Amino acid sequence: MTEPMNLKDIEKKAYRFTFTDGIYDLTYATLLITIAVAPILRELIGLGYILFLVIPAPLLLLLGKRYISVPRIGLVKFNQRRKTTQKKIAIISIILLPLTIVLVLLTAAQIFPGPYGTLLGGYTVPIGAALFAIALLSLIAYFIEFSHLYVYGLAIGLGILISELLYDPVAPPWNSVIAFGISGTLLFIYGIIELVRFIRTYPLPKAENGIVN
Amino acid sequence: MVLSTKKKKTMENRQLLDFIDKIIHEPARLNIMAHLYVIDSADFLFLMRQTGLTFGNLSAHMSKLEDAGYIQIKKEFLGKKPHTMLSLTKKGRTAFEEYRNNMKQFFNDLPT
Repeated sequence: MTEPMNLKDIEKKAYRFTFTDGIYDLTYATLLITIAVAPILRELIGLGYILFLVIPAPLLLLLGKRYISVPRIGLVKFNQRRKTTQKKIAIISIILLPLTIVLVLLTAAQIFPGPYGTLLGGYTVPIGAALFAIALLSLIAYFIEFSHLYVYGLAIGLGILISELLYDPVAPPWNSVIAFGISGTLLFIYGIIELVRFIRTYPLPKAENGIVN
Repeated sequence: MVLSTKKKKTMENRQLLDFIDKIIHEPARLNIMAHLYVIDSADFLFLMRQTGLTFGNLSAHMSKLEDAGYIQIKKEFLGKKPHTMLSLTKKGRTAFEEYRNNMKQFFNDLPT
């Protein structure tokens, strides 16, 4: 006998169902891998490397949802509560984005050295950046109730720190490749496994069933 | 008019069950209504996956709900692909809430 469910559980189940395709995992994995190879790309193609940072991950998400996920599990629009949450995330991102840009510019202008730069063995900025990434993604994870984001936040945060720690022993760009590449690759493998499982569980509906949608 | 005890009991039972919306009360339709109540809209395939009903089954129940004015069907486009989106009407939402409240009251009033 199936467990009794209340309306809240039904809504949560429907919401979490949209995350079972592994596509979000693949998206974040792609983001990590592009961050990992960004220094190499910068050497090869100059400033054009920025396109490789901003295009692949969102494109994968868009195309994956449209051509793999939706044809197999259908389309759903959630109600006002979820829309309000998405607005909150948008507001947080809009507030934090200029703050992030300011921090990056201050770091580039070497404002932080001095008493702050020597704190924590000179790792103030990377530790700050790591904590910022972990905090931001954890906040988003909490609001959108997608627990994988806690892991993505940790992967990016630790990646920033490890990349900085490896700067001296391992010459760049390999510090970045190791720091982000390992977690990105592991997440990518996990995403592929989830995707394959998803495709097997939810095959494309047959036309003769009349499901034209 | 004096009614027999049997007739009186039948009338009482009928009054007791009058408050149950029989359109919603059927388990598959209750399942469909519950899912549509907690979301804005969904297409046929999503509802099939969530409710576990077959295409034919879902289709038949949808027709009944549509005839009762509880759900509405709209065609939307995702890119070039059409999607038939299903959602509860205002009447459907009210009916579901009433059903929910009536059933709650019914079970609350039962002697312990």
